[in-house]
Amino acid sequence: MSNKKCDDPVTIYGTQLQSRLLIGSALYPSPQIMKNAIQASGAQVVTLSLSRQNPQANGGQDFWQLIQSLGLHLLPNTAGCHTVNEAVNMAKMSRELFQTDWIKLELVGDDYNLQPDPIALVKATEILIKDGFKVLPYCTDDLVIARHLVDLGCEVLMPWGSPIGTGKGLLNPYALQSIRDRFPEITLIVDSGVGKPSHATQALEMGIDAILLNTAVAHANNPVLMAQAFAKGIEAGRDAYLAGLMTERSTASPSTPTIDSPFWHQHS
Amino acid sequence: MSPLDFSNRPKIAILGAGLVGRLLALSLKEDAVIELFDQDDGSGQQSAAYLAAAMLAPLSESADATKEVMHLGEWALTRWPSLLEPLDVPVFFQQTGSLVVAFEQDLGNLEQFTQRLKGDAFEAVAKAQIHALEPELNPRLKRGVYLPQEGQLDNRELLTSLGQTLKNAEQVTWHTNALITRSGEAILHNGQALDISVFDWVIDCRGFGQKTEQNQQNSSDTSTLPKLRGVRGEVLRLRAPEVQLNRPVRLMHPRYPIYITPKESGIFVVGATQIETEDDREPTVRSALELLSACFSVHSGFAEAEILEIASGIRPAYLDNEPKIVVQDKFINVNGLFRHGFLLAPAMIDACLGLMKVNAEHSEQDQTRLNKVLSIMPSLIQTASELKVGGE
Repeated sequence: MSNKKCDDPVTIYGTQLQSRLLIGSALYPSPQIMKNAIQASGAQVVTLSLSRQNPQANGGQDFWQLIQSLGLHLLPNTAGCHTVNEAVNMAKMSRELFQTDWIKLELVGDDYNLQPDPIALVKATEILIKDGFKVLPYCTDDLVIARHLVDLGCEVLMPWGSPIGTGKGLLNPYALQSIRDRFPEITLIVDSGVGKPSHATQALEMGIDAILLNTAVAHANNPVLMAQAFAKGIEAGRDAYLAGLMTERSTASPSTPTIDSPFWHQHS
Repeated sequence: MSPLDFSNRPKIAILGAGLVGRLLALSLKEDAVIELFDQDDGSGQQSAAYLAAAMLAPLSESADATKEVMHLGEWALTRWPSLLEPLDVPVFFQQTGSLVVAFEQDLGNLEQFTQRLKGDAFEAVAKAQIHALEPELNPRLKRGVYLPQEGQLDNRELLTSLGQTLKNAEQVTWHTNALITRSGEAILHNGQALDISVFDWVIDCRGFGQKTEQNQQNSSDTSTLPKLRGVRGEVLRLRAPEVQLNRPVRLMHPRYPIYITPKESGIFVVGATQIETEDDREPTVRSALELLSACFSVHSGFAEAEILEIASGIRPAYLDNEPKIVVQDKFINVNGLFRHGFLLAPAMIDACLGLMKVNAEHSEQDQTRLNKVLSIMPSLIQTASELKVGGE
C-alpha cells in the first residue's frame, strides 16, 4: 500500500509524474512565498508566462531563474495571446528560452473572463504539433472541440472547470464527464476555475487525471497552507476514484440495523 | 561650535540621492558633514521615487504585503509630518483616508481584497457613503471599502523640496553625475577609487542602481549583499482640473488594483502596473489602455484630461518583497523597498539613525526609534556575517 502512489502515475506526453497537481507561478505576494507554496504543493510541473516581460530582451530572467531553480518540469504558457500568430510565436520563444517542447496553449477569446477561443486554439494546435510541440491546450468543456484537438494529435486536454480566476469549481460536471468517458486514453487536466480543495477532489473522483491551479493558492491568505490542502484534496479524490465510489441512492439506507427502533419500523 | 566649523563632525557618504538618500541627508545634516553621490543631474529623475504615486497606504498594501510591512508602514506614517517639517519648501501631505471601489463584475475581487487585509481599520461602504466621500465618482460604483487612516504625499514636490533644502545646506556636498560602483570594499566614483577612509559611515541606498554591479559579479565573487530583482511598473500623470477627488481611489481590476491619486493643482498620478521583469522599455499600449480606461471609468471628467506623462520604471526588490538593511563595519546598505518606498522610507531613516547615533544629545531618542522599528520587523537589519552564514 505504501507504494500505491508510485504505481499510479499521470502521464504527460510520455513523462510520468507522481503528483497530480500542476501549479502556476503568477499572483503570489512575493517570489519567496511562491517558491514555498510550490514546494509545499508537491507539484512536479510549474507553469510560467512570458507575456508582458519582454522576453526578446530577457527581461524576466531573474524571475525565471528562480522558477528553474525549483528543478521541476516547466510548462510555459501563451497567456495573453489573442491570435494564432501571437500564440505560435510565443510558443517558439518559450521553447527556445526554456528548452522544452511542452506548451500550454492558451488563446484568449474574451478579454474579460479570458474564455479560450476554440477556433483559434484548434488552428494554433495544428501548426504547433506539426512543428514538433507537445501541446497542452486550454479549452472549454466542449466535446466536439475536444475531439478536434485529439484528432490533431493532442495527448493531453485541459478543459476548464469554470473561467480563470473565478473559483467557481466545476460548472458543468456533465460535460467534463462526457469528455472523460469519450476519451479514456487522453490525459485530462482541469485547468481553471478550481477554487477549493473540494472542487479538485470532485474532479479527481470523476476520473479527471490532474488539476492545474494558480489563483486559489496564490491568493489564499496563507498560500503555503492552501497548497498543502489542495495536494491532500487531489490525493483524496484520486484514491476515491481508484477505490470506486458507492452508487448514490435516493433514500437513506442504514448500513447496520438500528437497534433503538422497533423492528416493524425498519421495514416500513 | 561656530556654524561654519564642521571639522569635529562625523563625515558620512551617502551613495544614491533617491528618496532614502535625500531623507537621510536631511535628517543628518545638523549633526554631520555629508557627501551625497548620485549618477543623475540632481533632479532625481532616475530614482524610483520620481515615478511613484507616493501612497501611504499600509492597510491596503497588506492585501499582498506582510503584516510586518503593514505595521512598519503605520509607524512610518506617523513619522512623515516631522520629517517634512524642516523643509524649506512645503510639500503636499494628506491623511484623509483612501477609498477602494469595484464595479459589479469585480465584486468578487473586492471581497477577496477585504478578506486579505491584515488590519481592521476599514469599513465596507455602499453607494450613499461612497457618494458622500467622493461625490463625483461614477454612480455605477456601488460597493467599496473606506480606509480612513491612509494618506499620500506629492512625490515630485518632495524630491524637489528635499533637493533644494540640501543644496542650500553648507554641510552637504552633492556630487551630481557621479556614478558609483562597488567592488568588494572598494568604491569607485566615475571609475576612480574613492577614499573611504575619511568617512565615518558609508550608506548605500542606490536602489536598483546596485543591480548592474550585481549582474556583473560572477558567482565566485559573491557579494555579501542579498540579490536584488527588478519589478517593472508603469505610471501615468494627468492634469484634470475638472476632476475633484478628495483622496486616493483604488479601483479593483481582475488582475491588479489601479489607484488614482489626486495631488494639488489638478494633477493625478495613476498607477501602477506590476510586472516581474527588469525590462525598462517605454510603457506598452496595453498598460496605457488599462490605466487610462480605469481613470475614465471612475470619473468621466478624465476624458478631457491632459496626459502629462506616461513612464515606466523598475522597483528594487528582494525575494520576499521586504526591505533589508545590511550592516558591515561602517557600511550600511539600505535596499529592497519594492513598491513601498514612500510607505517605508521614514522607518528606514529611523533604523539608520539608530545604528549610527551620530549625535550624543539625541542618541537615546535614536535608539528608541530603532528599537520600535526592530520590534515591528526584527529581520530588517542583518549583519554581513549573518548573511554569509545564511548562504544568501
